Order: sequence, then C-alpha cells, then structure tokens
Amino acid sequence: MLDFIYMNAWGAFAITLFMFIPFFIVFLFMVRKRTVTKPTPSTVEQGGYAQAEWMWLGLVSVVFVGVNIASIGYMPTVATANAVASGQEITDVSVTAQSWSYDISDSKIEVGHPIRFSGKSTDTMHGFAIYHPDGHVLFTMMLMPGLANPTSLIHTFTEPGTYTVRCLEYCGLSHHEMRDEIVVVARNG
Amino acid sequence: MLTATKILQNVPIFNRMFPVDQSDGLEEVNSWPALMIVTSFVWLFVAGLLGVAMPIIQVMGLDTEWFYRALTAHAAALSFPFAFQLMVGISLHRAGGCLGKSVSGWLPALNYICMNLGAALLAVAILVGGLSVSLVLMFPLPVVGVATGQWSMSALILGFTGIGLVLFTMIIWYPVNILKISFFGDSREELVLSARTINDPGMLGMVLASLVLLITGTPLLIVATYVLVALYGLIPLAAIAWATEPVVFQFAFFVFAHNLMEAMALMVISGIYATLPLYLSDGTRKLYSNTLANLALWILLLTSFSSFLHHFITLLPNLPASLAYHANIMSWATGIGSALSIFTILATIWKHGVRMNPGLLACLMGFTLYILDGASAVVTSNVAWSFHLHGTMWQSGHTMTVLVAMSFMWLGVIYHHYPVMTGRVLDDKLGYWFVGLVSVGSIGAALVMLAGGAAGMPRRFADWAQGDWMIYGDFIQLFGAMIGIGMLALAINLMKSRQIDQASGHPASAPEPAE
Repeated sequence: MLDFIYMNAWGAFAITLFMFIPFFIVFLFMVRKRTVTKPTPSTVEQGGYAQAEWMWLGLVSVVFVGVNIASIGYMPTVATANAVASGQEITDVSVTAQSWSYDISDSKIEVGHPIRFSGKSTDTMHGFAIYHPDGHVLFTMMLMPGLANPTSLIHTFTEPGTYTVRCLEYCGLSHHEMRDEIVVVARNG
Repeated sequence: MLTATKILQNVPIFNRMFPVDQSDGLEEVNSWPALMIVTSFVWLFVAGLLGVAMPIIQVMGLDTEWFYRALTAHAAALSFPFAFQLMVGISLHRAGGCLGKSVSGWLPALNYICMNLGAALLAVAILVGGLSVSLVLMFPLPVVGVATGQWSMSALILGFTGIGLVLFTMIIWYPVNILKISFFGDSREELVLSARTINDPGMLGMVLASLVLLITGTPLLIVATYVLVALYGLIPLAAIAWATEPVVFQFAFFVFAHNLMEAMALMVISGIYATLPLYLSDGTRKLYSNTLANLALWILLLTSFSSFLHHFITLLPNLPASLAYHANIMSWATGIGSALSIFTILATIWKHGVRMNPGLLACLMGFTLYILDGASAVVTSNVAWSFHLHGTMWQSGHTMTVLVAMSFMWLGVIYHHYPVMTGRVLDDKLGYWFVGLVSVGSIGAALVMLAGGAAGMPRRFADWAQGDWMIYGDFIQLFGAMIGIGMLALAINLMKSRQIDQASGHPASAPEPAE
C-alpha cells in the first residue's frame, strides 16, 4: 500500500481526500447542527473544549508526522543519496533541453540498473518528466538555464517498455510538442 | 464628491452594483473601496471569458498560440486585478471603518491607478502582442521569446511595464496604505463603523499580511525595476547581468509570489475572524479564543516564509536536499496554523450557534475550499510526491482553488459590508443560489484538476488530447461554468439590491445594527 501511496500520484490524491472528506463532513454537520433561526443564549457547557482542542491538534500532528515519515524511503533525494553511497555502478545519462527538443545521451536503458539523469537547459526553463507507459509520472526534474551544475537524480527502472519524456515547465508556444522517448529493456536484451 | 465616487457613477452596468451612499457621511471610507470592488468585478468578467476560451480553443483545434495567450491573460486577470484588488477594496474598507480613518487621498488613488493601468497594459501585451509567458513569467522565457520570434520586444516592454505597476501596488502602495491607517493619523469618531484594535484577530492579519508583502516583495521589486530600466534602454542590459540571471530572478520571484498567497490567506482568515462573531446566535460577538485565533495567524506567518522553497524541490541538487526537506517540513507546519483556525471557527460556531445568511455561508464554504486547497498544497510539498506532481494540473488546481477560496470568503464578507457601503440590501434567495453554485462548481473543479494532475495531465499545455486528458478538460469546463453562473447570480443580486427603507418583509436581509 505504501508503494501505491508514494510512488503514484493517485496515492497523493487519495491522501488529499483522506484529509479533506472527513473534515468536510464534520464541518458541514457542525454548522448545520448549530444554525439557529432565532438568537438564543448559549446553553453549551464550558468544559470539554480544551480536551477537544488537544485531541484535534494531536490527531493532526500524528497524521502530518506519520504521512511524512512514511514518505522518506520514497523520496528521490533519499534514493539518489543511497545509490551514491552504496557504491554500485551508476550509468550516467545526460540530457540537454532546448526549445523545443531534448538531446538525450542514451535513450536505451536496462531494467534494474541505477541511472543518473543529469539535465541542463540551454535557453529557458524546461522540465524533464518521464512518464510510465501507463501514463503516470515517474518523476520530473526542473532544468534552469545558467546553472553551473545540472539538475540530477538517480532512478532505477523496474519494468521494460517505452517511456514518454515530456516538458512540464512552460517554455513557450510549442511547449506541448516538446517530448521524446526512452526505451527500457530487460537485462541482457 | 470624491473622485472615486464620480468614476463609480460613470462605470456602465457595473455602477449599479455598488452605488455609494453619499448621505451617511461615510464616503471617505466607502468610496475608493467600492470603486476597487466594482473594478475587480469587471476584471472577473474578462477573466471568465478567457477561462471559457481555453477549452473551446482546444476542442475546436484552433491555433495553440491563442490557448497560451488566453492562459496567461486568464491567470493574470484573476490573480491581480480581480482577487488582489477585491481584497484591497474590502480590507481598506474594514481598516478605515474599524479604526476610524479616511480611505481617500493620493494613496488609494495610486493603488487603484497602478493596479488597473498595469493590468490593462499587461492585457494588451498578452492579447495583442502575444506575450504568452504564463502567470509566473517563467523567466528567462520573456526575453528568450523575443530572441526566438515568439513575441516582439515592444510586447515585452509593454507587458513588463504593466507588471511593474502591478508589483508596485502589491508590494508598496497597498501595504503602506494599510500600515498608515493602522498606525498613523487620528481616529475620527464619525468614520468608526465598529471600533477595533490591531490586537483583534480580525485586524492583526491585515497588519501581518502588509508586512509580509513589503518584506518579501522588496527584492523582486529591485530586480524587476532594474530589468525594466534596462529594457527602456536607460542602462545597458550588460550592467544588470546579476538581475537577469535566471536563478536570481526565479528565487526573488517565488519568495514573493508564494508569500503573496500566504499574505492573502492571512488577510482572509482575519476577515472571517472579524465577520463570524457578528452572526452568533447568542449575541456574544466573540470568537472561541482570541489567543488561539492570533496564534494560528502567527504560526501561518512564521512557517510560510521559508516554505516557498518547495517551488524548487525538483531542482535537485541545485536546491540542496536539506532545503527541500526544510521546505517539506515548513509547508506542512503551515497546516498546524490552519488546524488551529479550523478549531477556532468550529468551536465558535458550536459554542454560540450561528444565524445563517448567504454572506456567512459564503465565508464558511470558502473556508472549506481553502482547507481542500491546503490539503492539496501540503501533499504536493512533500518531497516524494513533488517529484510526481510538479508541473502537472495538480498545481493549477491548487492555485485556482486557493484564489477562488479566498475570493469566495471575501465575497461573503462583502455581504456584511454591502448595506453600510451602499445603503441597500441583497436578496437572500439569490444569495443562496450564488453560494450553492460556486461551492459545487469550485469543489468540483478543484477535484477534477487534482485528479487530472494525478493522471499526469500537464499544466499550461495546449494539447489535452495527447494523453487522453480531454475528459478532465471537459469536466473543468463544466464546473467552471457552474462557478460562472453562480457569479452571475451574485451580479444580478447586486444589480437588484433595494434601498434599506424599501426592504420590507425580509428581516433576514436587514442590515445589522451599527457594529
């Protein structure tokens, strides 16, 4: 389940609904319940509010901390750092983006092999996003021109297939036409 | 008669919505705010037409250049001359009426002129000149676009002039106006509608927001001014290489752009804190806890400043991972401030009961929309999810939702201010239609945009059919139309408003006694 939540944007959508829907239901219920047509003196007990306050803050804190701690293993920053620290062989693929195309040093990649994508832009802001064949975004990178170091992260593909590359940083009138492909093949073939 | 009143009386069609009541001696508090509010509605109408145009352009297969022009102009019109100006109008009215200070003179006039002239110049640069740079300028795209023949240097200079005027309004004129009213000059009893101090949660947010705009906007104003002066040819472009470095411009831009949204959130939460107590059924007119309410504002202020770094999470390692984690943590910490606001508002309602009316309901539904936006915002600020969501329609959904949420809450506050400003009352039935349609439309549009982003639909993208995303576009159009019809209901309500002394048989519409 954690894989679904953090490796797939639909997991993000599910968590957003998880946080919003209960709030929405409770909010509407409480507002409706306490909407009155005539002014009346308050008959609500004073006590209990402080306890509710702490319980609410406790719940929010647990959810916030829990959701974020569980995500650590799925952060590309962490995966990148772990891959570098592990000493395993990493294949470098350089990407140069210009309006409106990519120059990718190697578009054929093996499954199970860590790949360091390093991207630069020669003119304006571009993005380098890799889409899984089923249409969801595997990861995206922001490419800013003029930087000494490229944007980079390490990713290991787990499934063979043809992956679409798209630009997700608006870069001008042909922004929607800026795309390429990466072919991921099984090991040893 | 103030200049603003004269202008207001000559705005065709829209002048019927906010006729300033000159007989109550409050023209100095009502006039400029009313003009700003009415003008913001004109821009909302323009933005709405552009919003409808975008899916039509895609469906009809028209030149994609028009999509990008409509996209840029729609977002710019909604963000600045509509949402920001609406906030300016209402907040100046609140500040003046609560502190007994005049809202007239050169400062509100400059506020008004710079915002609207700037927006008009930008609109011309976009729609006529083709300066399609999106809402966030995407620097260095403006200059790269000239080099690649996408638009002309004239369009660029015109557009940047417009942007410059708008920035001066948001960063200097408006905050200075609020701070001047809050801290300088003597209070005049005849202008006091409801006496408040800046310790009141309903006022504190305004002061905090103004300081945020001034402080976080100054670096951008310096950079933008240098760029503009160089574009005019007054100094060589080579002399401002430090300002035109993309990384300099981008970071200066986003430290302001992000905190602009947070400042507007501070303002609107403050507005709810001020308005909700006035409709409590037991007449106590008090929030559950002023301390908790103010604490929420301070937490929001302190955590939001550095959370702007979440805009650069995918720039790894040029944004070091440590700063990405910091941005993740601070972004979620703003949610603690929101959690305190949620508790304050619900505890107030539960403890005291409320007398419902369309204005209060608009505030509360706007608040729920704000919470939906908050959930989507903290999710995309998580480092793991950011790499899946950045640049998709999720971000557009988030931006649209927060602007609609804040505007919705402000429009609810207007219901409360309207009788005081105009001497007229609004119809409740039309009011509830407005709230219902905008609520359903905006929550629907938000969820569809977020779902589109989850499905990989890119933002600012003229070809939704490319990835089978057209279905999301169709639903965005549908829910957007609902929002538009809801706004139409509001416009009709404002047009049909009746004089207070003629509003018989509708006690719910009668204005509150002097606050």
